[in-house]
Amino acid sequence: MALAGPRRARATSLAPVRFGLTPVFLESDLALLRALSSQMAAALGTPVELVKRRTYQEVVALLLTGQLDAAWICGFPYVRHADRLSVLAVPVHRGRPLYQSYLIADPSLRARSLADLRGRSHAFSDPDSNSGCLTTRWLLAGEHQSPATFFGATFFAYGHRNVVRAVSSGLAESGSVDGYVWETMAETEPGLTSTTDVVARSAWQGFPPVCCLTVSRQGAAARGIEAALLAMAGSPAGTEILRALRLDGFMPGSPGLYDGIRAMSQDLESRA
Amino acid sequence: MRRAGPRRLRAQLDPRRWPLLLTVPLTVAALVAGVATVTGQAVLARMEADQGRHLAALGAAFLDGLATAVQPAAVRADVWEAFDALDRASGQYEALRPTLSVVVLPDGSVLASSSPRVLRTGAALPRSLSGPADQAIASGSPAIDERAGRAVVARVLLEGGVPVGRLVAKADIGALLAERDAVVRALVLANIGIAALFAAAGALLVRRILLPTERLRHRLLEAAQGRRPEPLDAQAGSGPEHLALVNAWNGAVAAIAERDLMAGRLAREEGRAQLGRLTAAMAHEVNNPLGGLMTAVDTLSEYGDRRDIREEAVGLLRRGLDDIRKVVRAGLSSWKTGPGEAPLAAQDFEDLRLLIRHEVSRRGLTLDWRNDLPDGVRVDRTLARQIALNLLLNAAAASPPQGVLGFRAQGLSQGGAVIEVGDVGTGLPAEAESLLADPDGPPPSGGGLGLWTAARLARSQGGRITREPTPRGTRLVAELPVPSHAKEVAHAS
Repeated sequence: MALAGPRRARATSLAPVRFGLTPVFLESDLALLRALSSQMAAALGTPVELVKRRTYQEVVALLLTGQLDAAWICGFPYVRHADRLSVLAVPVHRGRPLYQSYLIADPSLRARSLADLRGRSHAFSDPDSNSGCLTTRWLLAGEHQSPATFFGATFFAYGHRNVVRAVSSGLAESGSVDGYVWETMAETEPGLTSTTDVVARSAWQGFPPVCCLTVSRQGAAARGIEAALLAMAGSPAGTEILRALRLDGFMPGSPGLYDGIRAMSQDLESRA
Repeated sequence: MRRAGPRRLRAQLDPRRWPLLLTVPLTVAALVAGVATVTGQAVLARMEADQGRHLAALGAAFLDGLATAVQPAAVRADVWEAFDALDRASGQYEALRPTLSVVVLPDGSVLASSSPRVLRTGAALPRSLSGPADQAIASGSPAIDERAGRAVVARVLLEGGVPVGRLVAKADIGALLAERDAVVRALVLANIGIAALFAAAGALLVRRILLPTERLRHRLLEAAQGRRPEPLDAQAGSGPEHLALVNAWNGAVAAIAERDLMAGRLAREEGRAQLGRLTAAMAHEVNNPLGGLMTAVDTLSEYGDRRDIREEAVGLLRRGLDDIRKVVRAGLSSWKTGPGEAPLAAQDFEDLRLLIRHEVSRRGLTLDWRNDLPDGVRVDRTLARQIALNLLLNAAAASPPQGVLGFRAQGLSQGGAVIEVGDVGTGLPAEAESLLADPDGPPPSGGGLGLWTAARLARSQGGRITREPTPRGTRLVAELPVPSHAKEVAHAS
């Protein structure tokens, strides 16, 4: 999928900036994506092509192969490819560049912890999602369990919003979801979140970052995207987008912000 | 007696005995209802077929769209993708109103349903759905359960000709059934209304058509009760048939009135004729001795001083006056009492013998008289004497000169009297004999009025006059039974 801003018509002679998106935020809001594309194109002075794929893996693959100038990805793919990726900016949510992973369940289960979900069906977001998979897998590993042995059945919904829909509809009895997405949906789609219970919240972890290939870090596109994101809170259009995203703005990131995720990933690799 | 009630009730309930005023409207209503039922069935059958085709088309469109979306998910057994497609489709086919859509794997387990809380992933497809689904797949059309108000559509998902699952959907067809029910209700109400309208119109029409007939029936009933028949208004008829009926009735009324008028006139004439004959007879009977009496008076006035002549003249006067007294008594006994006031006795007929003596002698006839009637016969003496007198005068008129006029009177074993009058004339004419068979008919135009009168009087007393076979002339027998009211009086006394 590709979306372009209104300035594309008068910048057709320029190569478009390609910006990858994953379901780390509510990418299903097409009006929001169009506004984001327009805002970035205006800031960069070049057309912006927003690129979406169904899985994190596909977007990360495009990024690693240089087909994207930058992408908003999850912290887990970043730590796995930290040797090749650089953080351009990190969203600030409720004053901090941090978020949590939520374990949610059908309210009728009256679950209070992960242990109460044993034998239940479980919806993961994406195999490469920190909050939508890695955190729960890591917690289970701490109990010498795996999703296959602990849950009755599992499936990937490929999107945090889809996980909430799956649990809300009863398709899955529990799910692993991005806490930021759940909280945002609680404001925008309370009908879906009200039929789910948050069973457990993980430790605070680094918010999904906007990354680029390290080799392109000093390129015009990367620096332009970095500047546009960091300056988004300073423009009315950017502020409007950030309000829709329930974000305060973007800030420069650092690798240390993802030490927790890195630790969980390494722990799981060591257990494998 | 106990069974008379139910029998009468059954007879009243027999439709063949119902009045036209009820039968015709009911028949019209039944015909209208029958026609309406047939046409209503045709409408409903057509509507049901249209709804079936409509539902099949909707189901096919639903399955076409959804199968394309869920087939890749079925191939990969992707729970979320299958649910996502079903969930998105559930709100996009309002015309079909699907309530549950399911992707079923080849092993019969549910991959995903649009309502996971109703039908969970991994569960077996319930029999309530699998049966109709099999039926829908086999027939290629929706499996409809009208009682449950639902239809099941289903399709096999094929990938390269290999079954990868089934798509089953349950739709709510309550709205379609409700629409059909509404049509049925509207048809029934409309049909009842039309039938009632036609029945009412039929009742009014029949009432209007039968009105002249009803008036005629009332007139006939009044006539049967003895009232004077009254004509009907010819303009009141509603058609040529009724007009002809009314005209026929009015013609009958006019004929009856004319006949009654004629009968009255004839009766008066007959009365006058009888009175004349009787007066003539009495005058003759009185006149016969009167000459002798006058002679005796002359003799007394001239030779009254002579004892022998005076005694002879007084004796002649006494006998002559005695004859006159007898004649006067006979007249008094014949007319001084009203009908039915005294029983019949032999003397009543003896008086008749005196009354007809002059007619018998005038024609030179020989009277063969035999009166065996006992006294106290409970028959109206006046009418009986009138009958006998009419028969005797008729027989005298029919007898040739020097003929024999026979008279017999006797009592009946059950009471009553028999009068037999015979003559040696040329026999009873056919027209006169027909009067005996039908005394209620019009009076004869060419004579025989006395016989007609006698026959009517006998009939009025419950009796009859018959002609008995005889070698020569005519022999008429009048049987006068005791009237029923006289029997009751006798029994009571």
